[in-house]
This record gives sequence, C-alpha cells and structure tokens, in this order.
Amino acid sequence: MTRFLLRRIAHAVFLLFGVSVLAFFFTTFAPGNYFDDMRLNPQISAERLTALRADYQLDRPMVVRYLRWARSVLHGDLGLSFAYNTAVGPLLWTRARNTLLLTGTATVLTWMLALPLGVWSAEKLGRPADVALSWATAVLLIIPDLTLALGLLVLAVRSGWLPTGGLVSVGFGGFSAAHRVRDVAWHMVLPVTVLVASALPVLLRHVRAAVAEALEAPFLRAAEGHGISRGRLLYRYVLPAAAHPLIALFGFSLGTLLSASLLVEVVMSWPGLGPFLLEAILARDLYVVIGGVLLSTLFLVAGNFVADLLLFWVDPRIRAEASRR
Amino acid sequence: MSTRSRLLLCVAGLGALHLGVACAGFFAPYDPTAQDREHPYAPPMPLHFVDARGGFHLLPFFYAQELQAGTFDQYEENRSRAIPVEFFVSGAPYHVLGVFPLRIHLLGGGDVQMYLLGSDGYGRDLLSRILFGGQVSLLAGLIGAGLTLSIGLCIGTVAGFWGGWKDEVLMRVAELFLALPWIYLLFAMRAFLPLTVPPLKAFLLVVIVIAAVGWARPARMVRGIVLSAKERDFVRSARGFGASDAYLLRRHIVPETASVVLTQAAILVPQFVLAEMTLSFLGLGVPEPVASWGNMLSSLQHYNVLVSYWWMYLPALAMVPFFLGYLLLESLLQGSYATSKIE
Amino acid sequence: MEPIIRVEDLVKRHTRRGLWSRVADFTAVNSISFSILPGTTLALVGESGSGKSSLALCLAGLERVASGRIWFEGRDLAALGEKELREVRPRIQLVFQDPANSLNPRWTVEEIVAEPLLVQNRVSRREGDARAAQALERVGLAAEYLDRRARDLSGGQRQRVAIARALILEPKLLILDEVLSALDCSIQAQIANLLVEMQRAYGLAYLFITHDLRMAAHLADEIAVMSEGKIVEQGAAKILQGLRRSEMRSLVGASPLKPETLGEVSQR
Repeated sequence: MTRFLLRRIAHAVFLLFGVSVLAFFFTTFAPGNYFDDMRLNPQISAERLTALRADYQLDRPMVVRYLRWARSVLHGDLGLSFAYNTAVGPLLWTRARNTLLLTGTATVLTWMLALPLGVWSAEKLGRPADVALSWATAVLLIIPDLTLALGLLVLAVRSGWLPTGGLVSVGFGGFSAAHRVRDVAWHMVLPVTVLVASALPVLLRHVRAAVAEALEAPFLRAAEGHGISRGRLLYRYVLPAAAHPLIALFGFSLGTLLSASLLVEVVMSWPGLGPFLLEAILARDLYVVIGGVLLSTLFLVAGNFVADLLLFWVDPRIRAEASRR
Repeated sequence: MSTRSRLLLCVAGLGALHLGVACAGFFAPYDPTAQDREHPYAPPMPLHFVDARGGFHLLPFFYAQELQAGTFDQYEENRSRAIPVEFFVSGAPYHVLGVFPLRIHLLGGGDVQMYLLGSDGYGRDLLSRILFGGQVSLLAGLIGAGLTLSIGLCIGTVAGFWGGWKDEVLMRVAELFLALPWIYLLFAMRAFLPLTVPPLKAFLLVVIVIAAVGWARPARMVRGIVLSAKERDFVRSARGFGASDAYLLRRHIVPETASVVLTQAAILVPQFVLAEMTLSFLGLGVPEPVASWGNMLSSLQHYNVLVSYWWMYLPALAMVPFFLGYLLLESLLQGSYATSKIE
Repeated sequence: MEPIIRVEDLVKRHTRRGLWSRVADFTAVNSISFSILPGTTLALVGESGSGKSSLALCLAGLERVASGRIWFEGRDLAALGEKELREVRPRIQLVFQDPANSLNPRWTVEEIVAEPLLVQNRVSRREGDARAAQALERVGLAAEYLDRRARDLSGGQRQRVAIARALILEPKLLILDEVLSALDCSIQAQIANLLVEMQRAYGLAYLFITHDLRMAAHLADEIAVMSEGKIVEQGAAKILQGLRRSEMRSLVGASPLKPETLGEVSQR
C-alpha cells in the first residue's frame, strides 16, 4: 500500500518538475520581456533598464535562474511580480480563492445534479423521460461555453435581472454581513450557471452510461432475487460497481478546479485566477505566469492523485494488483 | 435507417455547411472589410412581403435605414422607397479558392446597403463577416486538427511499434503535455510568441499553437492500437513471409488506427475551432481587419455594445450547427465502429 | 534419409523487463532436440504452457533463441541474420491456431492468399491473384471466395484460407500450431483430411503441434510429448494406433499428460 502511494507521489513530483522546466523554457525563449514597454518611455534611461534587469536577475542564464527559483519555491517563495512589486504567492492566492469559490460551487452543483439524474435516467433507459433528458443534454452539449456565456450576459444586460459581472456591487464595503453574502451570491449566479451548463451534459452522460452498464450485471439480478429493496440495491450495489469511471471523472473535476473557468471569468469580469494570469502573460510578468501555471498543474496532478487513491480504496482489484507488485 | 445511411446523411449535411462557408464570397452580399461610416451599428433589417399600402409582393423587399437626426445609433426605416432584394447580382469581387475571381453574389440590395444581420461599429455587414469569418475559424480548426492528428499518429506509431526507450520518453513527454491545463498552455504558447503580427502569420501561429497543445491524447490512443495490432497473428504471419517493418506498418498496422483517428478528428475539429475563437476573442488570435468568429465577438466586452447592439452576439451562434454536425458525426462513428467490432 | 530439419539443444527464454522493476526469466523451451524426415509428420503433444507455441515461433524465425541450433538445408537458422533468414523463410511456414486472428479480417481472401508472393516480390499483382485462385482450389474452396472478406467466412473456411496462404510459397516444412483446436468437431476431421491430402500431393513435412493425443496418433508418424519445456517421451505413432480407448487412457495416466489430452473427440 505504501509503495503504491510512494510511486504515485514520485510520479506527481516528476510531473510538477517537468512542467516547471517547460514553463521556464517557454518564457525564456519568448521574444520580449516585462521591461520592453518601459523601453519606450523616454524618461527611463537604458542604463536604468539594464540595472533593473540585473536586479531581477533577468540577465543570468536560464539554468541559473531556474535553480534559484526552484530553491526558493521549496522554501515557499514563488518569486516577485514585476507589475505589482509584491510576492507572487499571496497575489495568486487571493485570486485563486475567488476562482475556487466559483468552480467549487459549480462542481458541487454539477455532481449533485448529475448523480441522481444519471441514476434515474439509467433506470428509465429508453423510456420517454430518459429520451427527453437525452435531448435536453444534447442541446446543452452543442452550445459551446463561449456562446453560452456571452448569450447569458446579453440576456442579463437587457433584462437587468442579474448583475453583469464582477464579484461585488458598488458600495460593498458598507454592506452588512448578510447583505454581502447575498451580493456575492447574486453575482455568482451567471458564471456558475454557465459552468454547470457546460459540465453537466458530459457528466450526466457518463453517469448514465456507467450506471446503465452496472444495472446489466448478473449479480444484480441475483440480489434482486434475494428481495433486497430498490434503494439499497442502487446505493449499496449499483453505485460501487459504476464507481470506477466516475471516480476518474471526479478526479478530473477536482483537477480542473482552477483552470476550467478561465473563459467564464474573463467574459463575466470575475476577479479570479484566469484573467489575472492572462494579464500577466500579456505583460510578460514572468514569475506570476510560472507560479500560476504551476498552481493549476498542481491541482490537476492532485486531482488525479486523489482519484487514484479513491480508486485504490474502492476497487479491490487495484489493491490486489498493487500489493502483488 | 441504418447506421451507414445515417452516417452518410450526417457527412452530407456537414459537407453542405462547410461548402456554404467555403463559398462565402457567393453567399455574402458584401466584402467583409468594406466599411460604411454612415451606418455604424445598424440593426438587422427585417424583410417584408407586404408593403405600406398593403400590397403583397412575392419577392421580399426592405427599406433603407437611416440615422435619425441628432443620434449616432438610432435608426429608422425610410418607408418611402421599397427596395427589392435582388438575386444573383454582381457585387464586390472575391476569389474562389484564392485563385478564380468572381463577382456574382446570391443576394444584393442594389445601391442601398442591405444589412440583413446588422452592421458593426465600422458599418461592415455582419452577415458577410460571419460567412468570411467562418472560413478563418473553420480552417483553423480543420488544419489544426489535421496537424495534431498527424503528429499524434507519427508519435503514437513510433512509440507503440518500436517500444523501448523511445516509447518511455515519448509517453512521458505526452504525459507532461496532458498534465498542463490546456487552456493555459494555449494562451501561454500563443502569448509568448510575438503579439503583433500580420494576419496570415497570426493565423499560422494560432494553428501551430493549437496543434502543438493537442497531440498527446491522440498519440496515446494510437499507441494503444499499434501495441495490440503488433501482437496480432496476421502481423506475425506477414513477418513470417519476410515482410519488412515498413510493409507491416503500411499495410497492416496503420490501417488499424483509422477508426481512432477518424473519431478523434470529429472530436477535435470543433474543439479547435472553439480554441481559435477563444484566442481571437481575447485578442491573441487573428487580428483585425480580417474577420473571425472570435474577434467579431470581442467587441462584446464593451458594456455599451452588450447593452444596445444585441446582433453583435450572432457570430457566437454561427458555430452551433457545426458543433451539432460534428457531435452527431462522432457518435455515429463510434456506433458504427462498435458494431463492426462485434462481427 | 537426411532429416529436413534437425533441432539441437534449443533453449528459449522469456524475459520480462521493466524500466525500474527486475528482470524476470522464464525458460519456455529447455534444451530440446528432435528431427523430422521429409514428407513425414512429427506430432508435438503437450498441454498449454508446455512451451509448444514458443518452439513453433522459434522454428519459424519469429522469435530469437537463447541457445541451440536449428539445422535446415545445411544452415543453422538460429545463427542467421534477418536478410539471410528472409531468403529461407518461404520454405518453412507457420499456420496459427485461430484464423480469426491470423487473417486480417478486413482483407479479401485474394489479398490474403497472394500476400506472401507480393511480400517476397516474386510476381506481379495479376499473377499473384491467379496463383491465389489456384491455391484456393487446392484447399477445396471455390473461386467465388476470392472476393469475400475474411471476417465473413466461417472458421473452417478461414483455416483453409490460412493453409492455402501457407502453401503458396511452396514450403518444404509446415508448422501447424494447434490448427484444429479452434474448429468444431466435424470440421476438424475435414481439415485434418485436407492436411493429409496436401502432404501426400506435395511431399510436405509437418510439425503438428497439438494437445489432442488421439488426433496426433491418427495423423503422425512420430510423436513427441512435451512437458514444461522438455521432451519427456518420443516414439513412433504406430504404437498408439492399435490401442483401444481404455489402453490409451492408462497410457495417458502414466505420462505427465492430463486426461483431457485424450481429446475432445473421445468425450462424444
């Protein structure tokens, strides 16, 4: 068991390392750097620029910079942002929190909807209710998230029912605690709807397929024959059998918590990690970009890791295989 | 209806859609870059069949839209003159396949600008821009998917057939690419290349970046197929007659990958079109004045456009029938491969 | 008479190698020696896991041996490089057990049977097709089968195609690896008779690998029993041919073979 865990952790570390090298590689060989815009400013002399660059050590070779960066990361320091002149870590974290609020809510909602709907749909396979649901899902599936996000935004603007972007309304500082919560929640409605609408059809299909397949299993008939109640059957027998693909999907949901909402955040002006990283990429704010990419990758890798752990716990076949090795 | 005929129908439908966009010059009433500063943000013109006096016309007609005095975006119809929609008119020149010059257009409004879907801030006809923009976006998706699948096929075959250290290295790299959130990788790769480039170069950059991001998954799938095909006895038999590796790959193994490659194509093309749209929307893709569905939507980031000019949203809907077609194609392909495996 | 093939102390090992895990060694063929006279059949009998198929692959040049010699036409096949091997290959052919796997299901019968000729670059496309038609005729399939796809044929028909393909290069030695096991009982007899006919007509030598002792006794001149990589018994088939079923059962009981090896036929 521990060997399995260790292998997985080593694997994850390797991935993170590889990604950081890749990111460094890209950013080093990209044309242009943060100080290019400054060069256009006649008030800043060339010597000043060179001094600034030396300050930030942009003139050292890539390997040296990478090693210094890696060392400081291991101490918890992700570097300095050129644009904001503060540490990268806290900057990223404030933004990441906003993103997680959005995606976390959306993920919980999506799963809460997909699981019961998927199970119900699999039970009524082929019947009118199921067919209707399949059609509705298909419609949602065809609409790309860009279209959906912009469309809902247009609707919101023209109808005036919902706020059209941002996290909070003007005057937020003066609101009572309850009012604040309501305000944020109100602002969350549009982006969360878009996120759920894009994730739900895919998840629903998978749940339905996995449960439908599990329902076909012969051992289920036998259990039915024993007179076990429907509810118990579903939750004690069917769901565990269908769990394998669903756990992989869950890991994926977890993994994309930071990256799935980038477009939605930009469209709806939600102050999350996405727009912030975009801005940093455009401005060539080196350490912010690398820190951000690493953070998202960390989530992806962690998501897969959690999925592996869950699978190990749920599926006895994997346990047997792992202990054999 | 059998799966085969459904498949053919779907391909025909998609083909027709693509053909429509490919013949954008014909179906579009105007040149997509032709500006008309006197009619910025003109709303879509309704087509009428019944005129102001109650007379019924067989062919549709419209009224010219003019700016109300004193406003800069309020229009009213000039009902004094009913302008019939003309068919097969001679209009702005365009080139079919970039080579043959033609001037014939399906629709036209004579000497008056006919904004069937409205106009944008520069007075350019939205319908024409949507059609021409489709050329750019779809082409990006198709070429990108083609590139990615070619790369994936090569890498997957090398990794699966020869195995050993080549396999290990290639699959580890693939894993790295898969571990990165693809949307960040997309932006990072694009943004780290020169930002202001001429449209053609920008288009190529976009395509290359999209293709470079997406090769890992097809490569892994191809590798799986090649690994199992390699062990089949008909491959062993062929080796037993003295077949070379090249022969085995060409005649037996690569044809086995066809099913995977085709289904991946049906999945990837719409994804890549969307990627181009996203990049262009954020200003990292194809720049003005060339139209692409993505950059046409970027004006929606301005609040006043969002509130007052709803027709600027229409390019976002243009993608939907294509998405539908490709989704249907993918599910039909998967269905037909599943049944043929049973045989 | 000189044997057409003589195997000396053949050893074949399977190694399982991972990037970080240990190397696992498994000896499939553990120093085997035998020879086959031209125009005769040697049956190799043993249960699954006894190493028969590994031996077949080695003889056909599809796997490398760890040590030992395979004398064929005066040369040691085990020592030949790929180029020289290619020249010898036409004269030793291998027919696999499951024709669903050994024929490319997408190809037509014509393409399948003509493939060896095209691979060896001997003939033009048209002549290859003509020879394929002849080969089909020899195995008792009408010319109308030429355009059918392999996946549309029955098991027995497929195996006939496989045999036609193996014969098209005019080999001297045919290695038949469990070629009857995947077929229905009634078809087994038909194909067995076809094999006997081919041997008589073309003077072929057969290495007939099977787990069915009765079939071996029926078809072979010599029988060798293989168990866990070694040959444990060898002798003329005549001895078994006159035996009644009960006597064969006790013979099987005394050997390392399992009773099922007596053959499915006996269960009828």
